[in-house]
Amino acid sequence: MKPASLITRKTVQRLHCCYFILLCLALAVSHVQAEVAVPPLKRHVTDLTATLSAQEVASLEQRLAAFESTGGSQIAVLMIPTTQPEAIEQYAMRVAETWKPGRKGIDDGVLLLIAKNDRALRIEVGYGLEGAITDAAAKRIIAEIITPLFKQGHFGTGIQAGLEAVMRLIQGEALPPPQAKPSANTPSDLDNFLSILIFSLLLGRVLQVFLGRLAGSGVTGVGLGFVGWLISSSVMMAIIIAIVAFVLNLFLHANPGIYRAGRGWSGHDRYRGGFGGGGFGGGGFGGGGASGRW
Amino acid sequence: MRHAISTAAMIVALVLSGCSYNTLQSTDEQIKASWAEVLNQYQRRADLVPNLVNTVKGFAAQEKDVLLGVADARSKVGGIQATPELINDPDAFSKFQQAQSQLSGALSRLLMVTESYPELKSDTNFRDLQAQLEGTENRITVARNRYIKAVQEYNTVVRSFPGNLTAMLFGYQTKPGFGVDNEQEISSAPKVDFGAPASTGK
Repeated sequence: MKPASLITRKTVQRLHCCYFILLCLALAVSHVQAEVAVPPLKRHVTDLTATLSAQEVASLEQRLAAFESTGGSQIAVLMIPTTQPEAIEQYAMRVAETWKPGRKGIDDGVLLLIAKNDRALRIEVGYGLEGAITDAAAKRIIAEIITPLFKQGHFGTGIQAGLEAVMRLIQGEALPPPQAKPSANTPSDLDNFLSILIFSLLLGRVLQVFLGRLAGSGVTGVGLGFVGWLISSSVMMAIIIAIVAFVLNLFLHANPGIYRAGRGWSGHDRYRGGFGGGGFGGGGFGGGGASGRW
Repeated sequence: MRHAISTAAMIVALVLSGCSYNTLQSTDEQIKASWAEVLNQYQRRADLVPNLVNTVKGFAAQEKDVLLGVADARSKVGGIQATPELINDPDAFSKFQQAQSQLSGALSRLLMVTESYPELKSDTNFRDLQAQLEGTENRITVARNRYIKAVQEYNTVVRSFPGNLTAMLFGYQTKPGFGVDNEQEISSAPKVDFGAPASTGK
């Protein structure tokens, strides 16, 4: 009816929209800049405040590494100047989600976070240890063991005493023993790929007997491609598997050497590095633990 | 014949995964799981309340209003059927949110009042309960944040191009996050920090 006013209203709306987006962007940028970054994980003990002496760090490191190799649980210590503007709980969660201390599936990791200038600390407990280190127990360790020592400025001994208490609690919990090689043994895409191919050779052999060479290979290829799609949920992977399975079956079954080839593949040992070069095992956290101030 | 069937299977597989049907499924499951965790943690808090109220009553029975407020809020929370289907019903969802945030408010008032009872504050039982409540509030915050992230991922799939067609075809709709109204609550968990006394003024 009144196109002019309609247009102006629309323009105003658009302008509002623009302002809103700009505001959001500005907020987002300032937000990103303000947050304290999670430091890279190199060892069990990370002190970014230069409070602990090299000796203290080394002895803590040794103790935690020994504890990990006997019990399997991974404990990380991080000391930073401040977590501002975030609360220590939020920052601790981000560190725990990035570092992932604890073994995958067992979730037996603990993070001791100390924000020195905020005079705040937090014990973040992995899912698997929430029974051993209850929130109340974590709070007591903080209030009765750690903070009294921190108040006197004894950071090294405070951390050590606190960790000993944590380790005693963990030892009371029946956890699976550590593996000789602490490696993530979940099947990777490559493992899947190889086992699918080996399986395809067997299946292809059988199907070829019933359907003939070309059709047998074709059905095997499509079937295996479908299986691969289900497992890896990626179409590319599925197509690759299907084509490889089809070609292998079509041509390789002509010569009897394939079974040996198959055994050669499956005999490959695939180790992945544990802690040392990379990171922790992949433990999950749900926000359990306690915080305190001194 | 066989070729036709296998080609058809291949095409169906391609089409389904090409239109993000699988992503839709996995993100939907992710939402269900994280919502279950939210409910789980809220339940944990609700279970703590009677114990906490009883302990406080032992030392500060004269704070009737505050204690009644907590009991009231607790029963309101208990009255809402916290089912997984809640996320598909925006009305029930916001009611649930309201009840929970009312309980949060009542609990923080209760803890504020306890400040003036030194005997209560030094009671071991109360301190443990307080630590548990603190931990649970933190778990709720974490669970809510994870739920929000899961919803965001799912909604992005449902609303962006190939996914929206699939979603329409299979009847998937966007799910509610914790709306803008209560964004304030999300970013700041109810203060139950007792390290610094009287930090929450009246």
